[in-house]
Amino acid sequence: MLLLALTLAAGAGAADTAALAPVPPPAAANAAAGMVAVHRQPAIPIVALRLSLLADDPPGYAGAGHLLQHLLLPSLREQVQRVGGEVQVTRGADAVVYTVVGPASELDYLAGVLRSTLRQPSVGEAQLVAAQRELRDERGAEWETAAGHVRALLRGRLFPEELSPAGTPASAERFTPEAVRSLWAAMYRPERVSVVAVGDVQVGRVQDAFARLPAPPESGAVEALADTVAAAPPAPPEATRGWIGLGWSAADADPAAVTVAARLLRDHLRERLPSASVEAEHWWTRDGQALAVVVAAQPAGLPAARRAVGASLGSLGESLDAGRVRAAAAGVRRDMLFYARRPERMADVVGQFIDRAGQADAAQRFYADVERVDEDAVRALLAQLAERTPATVDVPPQKIVNRTP
Amino acid sequence: MTRALLFRAALAALATLPPAAGTLRAQDHVVVRPEPGTPVVAVEVLVAAGPAEETPEQAGLAYLTARVATAPIRPILDSLGAHLTVQAHKDALGFTLTAAPDAWQEASRTLLVALFRDPADSLAAVRERAALRAELIGREASPADALAREVDAAVFGPEHPWRRPAAGFSTTVEKLTLADVDGFIRSYLVPERTVAAVVGPVDAAAAREHLAAFLRGSPWQAPRAEPPAPVESPVRREYSSITAWIAASYPFPPDVDEEAVRMLGELAVEGLSFGPSRRSVYNARAEVVRRAEGGELRIQIVVPPREVDAWAGRIDEAVSRHAEGRMAPSLFADRVRRFRGLRLRELDTPEARAQEAARELFVGAQGRLADLERLDADRLLAAARALRPATLVVLGPFVDGTPAAND
Repeated sequence: MLLLALTLAAGAGAADTAALAPVPPPAAANAAAGMVAVHRQPAIPIVALRLSLLADDPPGYAGAGHLLQHLLLPSLREQVQRVGGEVQVTRGADAVVYTVVGPASELDYLAGVLRSTLRQPSVGEAQLVAAQRELRDERGAEWETAAGHVRALLRGRLFPEELSPAGTPASAERFTPEAVRSLWAAMYRPERVSVVAVGDVQVGRVQDAFARLPAPPESGAVEALADTVAAAPPAPPEATRGWIGLGWSAADADPAAVTVAARLLRDHLRERLPSASVEAEHWWTRDGQALAVVVAAQPAGLPAARRAVGASLGSLGESLDAGRVRAAAAGVRRDMLFYARRPERMADVVGQFIDRAGQADAAQRFYADVERVDEDAVRALLAQLAERTPATVDVPPQKIVNRTP
Repeated sequence: MTRALLFRAALAALATLPPAAGTLRAQDHVVVRPEPGTPVVAVEVLVAAGPAEETPEQAGLAYLTARVATAPIRPILDSLGAHLTVQAHKDALGFTLTAAPDAWQEASRTLLVALFRDPADSLAAVRERAALRAELIGREASPADALAREVDAAVFGPEHPWRRPAAGFSTTVEKLTLADVDGFIRSYLVPERTVAAVVGPVDAAAAREHLAAFLRGSPWQAPRAEPPAPVESPVRREYSSITAWIAASYPFPPDVDEEAVRMLGELAVEGLSFGPSRRSVYNARAEVVRRAEGGELRIQIVVPPREVDAWAGRIDEAVSRHAEGRMAPSLFADRVRRFRGLRLRELDTPEARAQEAARELFVGAQGRLADLERLDADRLLAAARALRPATLVVLGPFVDGTPAAND
């Protein structure tokens, strides 16, 4: 599974962050590596374990981290299925992440599966070819649908330094079995590993399970090469609706205010464009933050949609009041709780904040910060964003020609 | 602590925590499982109303009524960040509500008022009828749906109300009126037919009191269903599709070991699913449905039409071989290890646990979740032997010219 960045969508269903107010902060302990954080949920004897390695893809080798995940995934699946569990791999802006979920009684076994991802990989040509093909499919999939295409273009304009976790065609040609081993040696350090456990487990047991991590390989230097990307994006998708994307860089803004503002913007535009599909998202990566709007409208409604989206910051400011901000903040917190109700999602949320901030309670503090966002904070943010030129994307609807025989 | 001991201790905690901390008596028709570490509250409301309360011409009325009753409150629930799903079972209407801890009481109050106190909304009735009709037209074109209908007809018999789909037919739903819906609400969406389960970070007594306010003074009327009258098996039905669909339904008695039956279903599906020696199986699945008077294990596979007869036999082999003798200990240990993980993951959301708890209360079952820890080869054997003979239904284009039986 490919996760390009931490996307805090101001709505249900996407990768929202945790709501931890009803539960105490995680118990944290410094293990042999990085951090071990545990959220005890004894309701059912299940545990979700999330292991993340903070690592960039070495220059010139975009996609290396995710390639390694694809190389390991078949074996991980087979091992975890023996205990009726599930494994997910994600490559975020900050880290290479493996998550397993299964019975709490299988903690040691599942931890062993995760620890195995930190050993130097042994890669065959056939394996590498299969993994390369999967990465190529993922690169294409990002651009295949209109929704993904618009987001990929917007992201490229807002975060020009960010490369796809699936890499590039140019970097893919550099991956050989020898190169993969060297890349792993350059990326892996035990101290950059952190573990989040959510479920019916105690911090001491989890700490013990991850007390000994594989030693880093001896040689870790990789020749830095230049990353290259295509000068022009792939052809626009075939879409029957018109798609509009608008994104404002919010690099130095309060993240909680940006999240609440995204929710407000979404609701505001949905009221104004009832027949369009509207999403407003808070994008938060190591390269910065952004407030992004993606709208799809039928051809007849496209001019109105463009006007509404273009003027959205101003019109939102005019309709803003304390009650709406409170309701939006409450909505964001409730969506976070709903998203994190599965152990592996709670682990994902807590873990993403740890990866970014390095603190066990970072997710909980963010949750608390959202509640404190007020009208003044949102107005200040809107004013700040209004002074910036947004990145824009416009994908017109495909013209369908009616040919009668 | 060994793995087995830790698992047993964990399950013991699961089994004992609710009774010690506030699980309620069944006659109160509310059960509460306090879960301090869970981030949201899930409420499952089951109302004993379904096809048995409909005439054949009214098929789908119960489900339409449930949707009409809840449509007007959806904006309110959205504003609370609450999520509601409505399901039609053969024996009950299920309302699954999840909400944040600070909103669950208001959300559940809104739901229960809508079910028990509000009259039918005419605009909602028109909209939901049109929407349901459109959904059913789509569903009725699916071979999976056709198979389910044929299996129900075969398992329950031609006169049984459960032979009809709980959601009805597009041709019956389109004729239902506001008066039908309103009459159904008054007669059947009533507290005495209702049980509820609450799971999440709640105070047990307060949660009980909150729900009991809507159910107080209403003695629980456990649902009673006519016994099924299955038709002669096998049933073959011609159906225009590329693949053939086969289902086998094994009835079981009310005192069956349900977790063992679930494991049996999982083992059977493992033995039937696509693999190196089973390349022609497109899909295989098992489902266990528990009702007050027992239930059924239903296994379904999708295969090429030319292989129908061979696979029909193999379904029964995949189940019946577990009744021949006790599974070898090492093999059982391996299989149950996997099954436990799969089963626990089915219950990894608070709403799944609320649904399970409400269903237990509804059918009068007790503490099934705890049975996972003591699942052994003897219990598996006993469950396999407790199954009654299967009703087999085959749906597809019959390439051998054999006329469809039971026409």
